[in-house]
Amino acid sequence: MFRDSPRSRLVLVVLMVAAVALLVLDSRPGADPVTSVGRAAGEYVFTPAAAGVGWAAAPAVSLYDGLRQAPHAAERIAELEEANAELEARLQAVDNDEERADQLDELLHLSGLGGYEIVPAQAVTRVTARGLAHTVTLDVGTDSGVRPDMTVVNGHGLVGRVVEAGASTSTVVLATDVASAVGARLEDTRKIGVVRGGALPGGPDAELTLELFDMEDPVEAGDRVVTLGSHEGAPFVPGVPIGTVEEVQSAPGALSRLARIAPAVDFASLDLVGVVVAGPAEDPRDSVLPPRSEPEGDR
Amino acid sequence: MRSAATLVIVAVAVLVQATAVNRVQFDWGPGPDLVVAALVAVALTTTPAVAASAGFAAGLAMDLLPPAEHAVGRYALVLCVAAYLVALLRANTGSPGAVGAPPSAWTGIGVTAVTSLGVGLGYAAVGLVMGDPRVSLGATAVAVGVGTVLTTLVSPLVTVPLLWIRNAFTENEFATIQGPTGLGGW
Repeated sequence: MFRDSPRSRLVLVVLMVAAVALLVLDSRPGADPVTSVGRAAGEYVFTPAAAGVGWAAAPAVSLYDGLRQAPHAAERIAELEEANAELEARLQAVDNDEERADQLDELLHLSGLGGYEIVPAQAVTRVTARGLAHTVTLDVGTDSGVRPDMTVVNGHGLVGRVVEAGASTSTVVLATDVASAVGARLEDTRKIGVVRGGALPGGPDAELTLELFDMEDPVEAGDRVVTLGSHEGAPFVPGVPIGTVEEVQSAPGALSRLARIAPAVDFASLDLVGVVVAGPAEDPRDSVLPPRSEPEGDR
Repeated sequence: MRSAATLVIVAVAVLVQATAVNRVQFDWGPGPDLVVAALVAVALTTTPAVAASAGFAAGLAMDLLPPAEHAVGRYALVLCVAAYLVALLRANTGSPGAVGAPPSAWTGIGVTAVTSLGVGLGYAAVGLVMGDPRVSLGATAVAVGVGTVLTTLVSPLVTVPLLWIRNAFTENEFATIQGPTGLGGW
């Protein structure tokens, strides 16, 4: 079965001896010149060949990789899209939060100046059943200590008063509502009057109108108006800025003087408000008012 | 012509194995061994001395090409002996002389499977003798088993066409004459 010519066997023996000799040479510690040269030659052949194969196989390799990763790719895309949406939402939330933080800061500042105790709330809607009344809905209610006839402020001044309080929502009538009347006092002259929502008959067209009871009271554009304060702080706590006198009108024969008031609060962009759940121990007077910008105002 | 074909076949097989097959990352470890598959085709159609030389050359080339992490001569020794044995058995069990019918495709595939198994075991055995720390029973069994299966699977694509090529280049003028009886075995 294993018949073979002596010459053939000789070849086999020689080759085996050569292989074993190479093995022994190469497995000895240290670099061997023979195998080093051989390996260098192998590398010399291999490098361009491998580069060529790499160049030629690149499309196939990328195709193979694409096919191999295809099932994961869809999942991965969905995952990334989800993460992207979440991050975008978070980014928007950060913007929103910054705004809210600013408003809260202002609110805190105001309540700190006046010594009020405030429950922060978000104005949720401005829609009423008929759309006639100027009201907003807040996301706080009796659970948070909100009761009807509480004053609602924001960082700039008076917003309105609570008329209804549910467990977790409450309805606020804005100061600009036609049915709203707020006892007011001029900052400088301490004269009192009433700020009503909308325009009064015979008065100027305005969001807020100040009605002064004394025809002789000096009032000028630029005078600032704060709340007078009600008995036991309901419905209005004293000292909250309402607005600035814009224009004074003295109609001949009228019983009172009317003045158009620019509201301190931007009612079009109500967002974060505070419900004053406890008024100050004593009237803050005008300390809640921001400092006047005009130098001649410091009289 | 035949010797040139042999040279080209072995060289191409070695280069493809070293640069293309070894490049692919298989999840299960070893890939198919094209060198063994090509060498079987050569050994089945040549004399033992030539087969041994071809095996030695191919093995040495595989030893020297960069992915080789083992001592030079290890693969050369194994392939040399393997190719010699294949050629010897072919020469002694087939029809005597060069008049024998060309080896069939199934012969090529079967011999490739057996040779691949033998080469894997022989390679591990040489490593064992040389104290290669990578040779352990489990790792060797997995590598040899998977390698044998894969090499057998690619042999219809490598060994069988190479057998046809080598038969086409044969100088034997009686190669196309069928013998009176079919030859069993190899």
